[in-house]
Amino acid sequence: MKLHAVLLAAALAPLALATPAAAQGPAVVTTPQVRAELVAHAPEGLQAGKPAWLGLKIEHKPHWHTYWKNPGDSGLPTTLNWTLPEGARTGDIEWPTPQRLPIGPLMNFGYEGTLLLPVKLEVPAGLAGDTVNVKLAAEWLVCKDVCIPESGEFTLQLPVNAATAGHAALFEAARAARPQDVPGARAEAALEGNELVVRVAGLPAAWQGRELGFLPETPGVIVNAAKPATAWADGTWTARVPVDAMRSESPTTMPAVLISAGQPAGLRVAVAVTTPWPAPAEVSAPAPALGNAQIDMAPAAAPPGFWLAIGLALVGGLILNLMPCVFPVLSLKVLGFARAGTDRRAQLAGGLAYTAGVVLSFVALAGLLLALRAGGEQLGWGFQLQQPAVVAALAALFTLIGLNLAGVFEFGSVLPSSWAGAQARHPVADHFLTGVLAVAVASPCTAPFMGASLGAAVTMPPAQALAVFAALGLGMALPYLAASAWPALARALPRPGVWMQHFKTLMAFPMFATVVWLVWVLGVQVGINGAVALLGLLVALAFVAWAMGSPTLGPKARGGFGTVAVLLLAAALVWALPSLRSDALAGAAGPGAPATADDGWAPWSADRVAQAQAEGRTVFVDYTAAWCVTCQFNKRTTLAAAEVKAGFESRNVLLLRADWTRRDPAITAQLTQYGRSGVPVYAVYTPGAAGPRLLSEILSADEVLGAIGAAR
Amino acid sequence: MHSLTRRTLTAAALALAAGAAFGSATVGQPAPAFTATDTSGKTVSLADFKGKHVVLEWVNPGCPYVVKHYGSGNMQGTQREAMGKGVVWLSVNSTATDASDYRKPADMAAWMQQQKATPTATLMDADGTVGRAFGARTTPHMYIIDPAGKLVYAGAIDSIPSPRPADIANATNHVKVALGELLAGKPVSTPVTRPYGCSVKYSSM
Repeated sequence: MKLHAVLLAAALAPLALATPAAAQGPAVVTTPQVRAELVAHAPEGLQAGKPAWLGLKIEHKPHWHTYWKNPGDSGLPTTLNWTLPEGARTGDIEWPTPQRLPIGPLMNFGYEGTLLLPVKLEVPAGLAGDTVNVKLAAEWLVCKDVCIPESGEFTLQLPVNAATAGHAALFEAARAARPQDVPGARAEAALEGNELVVRVAGLPAAWQGRELGFLPETPGVIVNAAKPATAWADGTWTARVPVDAMRSESPTTMPAVLISAGQPAGLRVAVAVTTPWPAPAEVSAPAPALGNAQIDMAPAAAPPGFWLAIGLALVGGLILNLMPCVFPVLSLKVLGFARAGTDRRAQLAGGLAYTAGVVLSFVALAGLLLALRAGGEQLGWGFQLQQPAVVAALAALFTLIGLNLAGVFEFGSVLPSSWAGAQARHPVADHFLTGVLAVAVASPCTAPFMGASLGAAVTMPPAQALAVFAALGLGMALPYLAASAWPALARALPRPGVWMQHFKTLMAFPMFATVVWLVWVLGVQVGINGAVALLGLLVALAFVAWAMGSPTLGPKARGGFGTVAVLLLAAALVWALPSLRSDALAGAAGPGAPATADDGWAPWSADRVAQAQAEGRTVFVDYTAAWCVTCQFNKRTTLAAAEVKAGFESRNVLLLRADWTRRDPAITAQLTQYGRSGVPVYAVYTPGAAGPRLLSEILSADEVLGAIGAAR
Repeated sequence: MHSLTRRTLTAAALALAAGAAFGSATVGQPAPAFTATDTSGKTVSLADFKGKHVVLEWVNPGCPYVVKHYGSGNMQGTQREAMGKGVVWLSVNSTATDASDYRKPADMAAWMQQQKATPTATLMDADGTVGRAFGARTTPHMYIIDPAGKLVYAGAIDSIPSPRPADIANATNHVKVALGELLAGKPVSTPVTRPYGCSVKYSSM
C-alpha cells in the first residue's frame, strides 16, 4: 500500500512541476515580414480602477504593411482575440492614425514601421494570486506587393501587485498617435448625385485652412483612391467625396478621421449623413425567362450554335451506324426485318419503337451525364464504359445474345412460358429494348461531327443539351425508321426460308467479336486477372444457358445439368467478382500505358506539355480510351504508319498519351477546355502557336504530318 | 485667382479624371462592354454571351484569398454548379506584367488545369482595361451579368472575409445565392457586398 502511494506520487510529481511551466508561452512571434510582441502597461499594478493596457506591438520589415480598421479597397484589419482571467475585460482596439497606402488605382489604409495596437484592460477587484496570465490569438494580413495572412499565439504573465511599465514610451506614443476627438466639431454629409458633400465645422485653429484628407472608418461607402474637391469657407471645411459605384453600406453616421500633413495624429469626427441613401438599383431578373432565353424571347435569342449543334448531331447519329460498335446491333435489326416479312404495320411499329428506344436512351443517358456534371462530377461522354462492372455486364449480355443466335438455347425454353408469350405479344417492346441496347454500346464511339456537338451541348442549358442528344438519337435510328416505313425496302429482302436460320447463326459471330473487344477493355481497366475472371464467368454463363435453355434437352437432363450449371455460375461469380472491382489493380500495370514510354509514347500531364512548349518542342497528345474503337483504329493504322512515325522523329515531336479508360478528372477537365466531352481527341501543340490544334477523329497520315509541319 | 480656389479647381479636375478612369460599372446598369484575349490566344467579348448569365471572377494565383477558395474546391464547385445551369464563367487575371506574381498565359492555363477549374474562358487582362472598367479591387472579386447585359451582382464570393478555408462552410456563398435567385426569376436579394482579398495588381498608371 505504502509502496503504491510512493509510486503514485512519483508518477504525479513531474506533472505538478510541469503545470506552471506550461503556462509560460512566447510573448513574441517573429515571421519573415514582422516581429510581433504582446506587451502590457500597468504602472500601478493590476488593481480595479487603476489604468492598465495590453497591446500588440508589430514591427514591420521595410515596405511591408498591415491594415487599419477600414483597410480600404482591399486587405483585412488585424484582429485580436484575448483569453483573460476570470472577470477581466478588454476594450476595442484604439487604432492609431493610419497612413494612406496607394497601390495603382486603388487605395488602402494601414501602417508601416513600428505599430502598437493598444486595448484598455479592466480587471476585477480582488484578483487571486501574484500573477495573471494573459493570452492573445492575433491574426494580421501583411502585404508588400504580395499578401501573406499571418497569425500568432502570445502569452504574457503580469504581476498583480507590481508595476509593468517597460513599454511606457511605446504606449504613450500610441496614445498620442490616436485620432483626437474634437469637442465642439460638427460634421454632416449630404448626398448630391454621386457625391457625398461633407461639411465639418469647429476644427481646431491649427487645422484651419489646411489641406485635409478624409479617411472614413466605415468601409464600402466612398471611392478611397479619389482626391475629392475641397474648400474652406468661414471655418467650415467642405469636401465633395465621390461615392463608390458599388457601395455596399448605407450608414446614417459615418465616423471618419481627418488627416493633415505635418500633424502627428488625425482628428476624429462623427459625420451625420442627413440624406437617405438610395436603395441599390432595381436588379430583378428579366421577366419570365429563366435566364435560358429560349421560351419567351424572339427566335434570334437562341444562340446560333444551337441549331448548328442539332444539325451536326443528326448527321453524327447517321454516321454512328457505320461505326464498329454499332454494327453488331445493326445485324440484330436486319434480322428483325428478315423475320417480320411483309407485315407493314408491324414493321413500321417496330421501327418507331426502335427509334423511341434509341432517342429516349440517348436523352436519359445525357440527362444522367448533365445531372452528374451539375453535381460536380468530372464526367465526359462514354462515362458509363469507364466502369468495369458495366463492361462486364455488357459482355455477359452479348454472350447470351450470341449464344441465342447460334442456337445454343432458346429464350422460350429458359423463360417461363408466360414471359415468352409476352415477348411474342409485344414485339414493340422488344424493338424498344433493342434500341436501348444499341445506344448502350454505341455511345462511346464518337463519330466525326459528334465530338464537337457533344462538347457544345454540355455547356448549353439543360433543355437545349437534351435536344441535341435527342437529335443524335434520331440520326442513329433514322435508317431503320426509313426502312420500316417504306415497304419498297422490305420487298427488296428475299422471302423467308432456311437461309434465315443460317443468317441468324451467322449474326452470332459479330456478337462474339464484340464480346472479345469488351473483354479486352475490361482487361485494360482491371488487368489480365480481371479479364480471365470475366471469361470464366462467361463460360459458366454459357453452360447455364445451354443447360436451362437448349431445345434438345429433356426435362430431366435439364433439371440435372441446370442445377450443376447454376451452382458453377454462383461459384464463378464469387471467384470472379473481386477481380472485377475497378481498384483491383494491385500489381497490374496502370490503365493502358505503363509508367515508362511504350513504343515512344509517354503518359500525358499538363506539366509535360508546358515544359515541352517552354523548350520549343512540338507536342502531339493522343486522348484515347480502351473502349473507344475509333481511338484503337487510329492507333493501329495512322499512328503506327511508318511515314507518320518517321515524321514524328524528324520533327522531334513529344508524343503523349492521355488514357481515359478509367475516370480521370484531369483529362476530363482538359477535354472540356477543348470544347469536347469524349475521345478520341488529337491535339498538336506547335511552338509559337497560341493554342493547340485539334485534328479530326479519324486520322489520316496527311493530316498528322501537316499538323506537325513535316510535309510528305 | 485665389490660390485656394486654383488648388480646388485643379483637385476637381483631377477628381473628375480619376473618377472617370476607374470603376464605371454600377449594379443595375448595363455592364461595360469588353473584349479580351484568353489564355489560348482566342479573343473573347462580353457580347459573345448575350442571352446568358455571365459570372466574372477576378483571380490571381499568388493571392492567399484566391488560394483559400481554390485549395478548398469552393470556387471550382461554385463554377461547376453555375456552368451546369448554363451560366458562362469568365475568370479574369488583371495582374500587370511587371508585378511580382504575374503569370504568363500558358502558366495561368496550366494553373487552372492543376486546380481542376474549367471556366468558359480565362482572360488575360494585363493592361487592366477590363478590371478598371468594372472597378475590380480585390482577388477574388465577383460580378454577375444577366442575359440582357445588366450588372446584377458585384462583391465578395462569400460572407466571411478571412483567409481561413474552415470559414467557407459557415459563410453564405453570395454567388450561389444570387444565381439561384436569378435562375428562378427572382430579384437578387443582396446585389452588392464588400469584396475581400488582395488588391488587383494593376499596371502603374
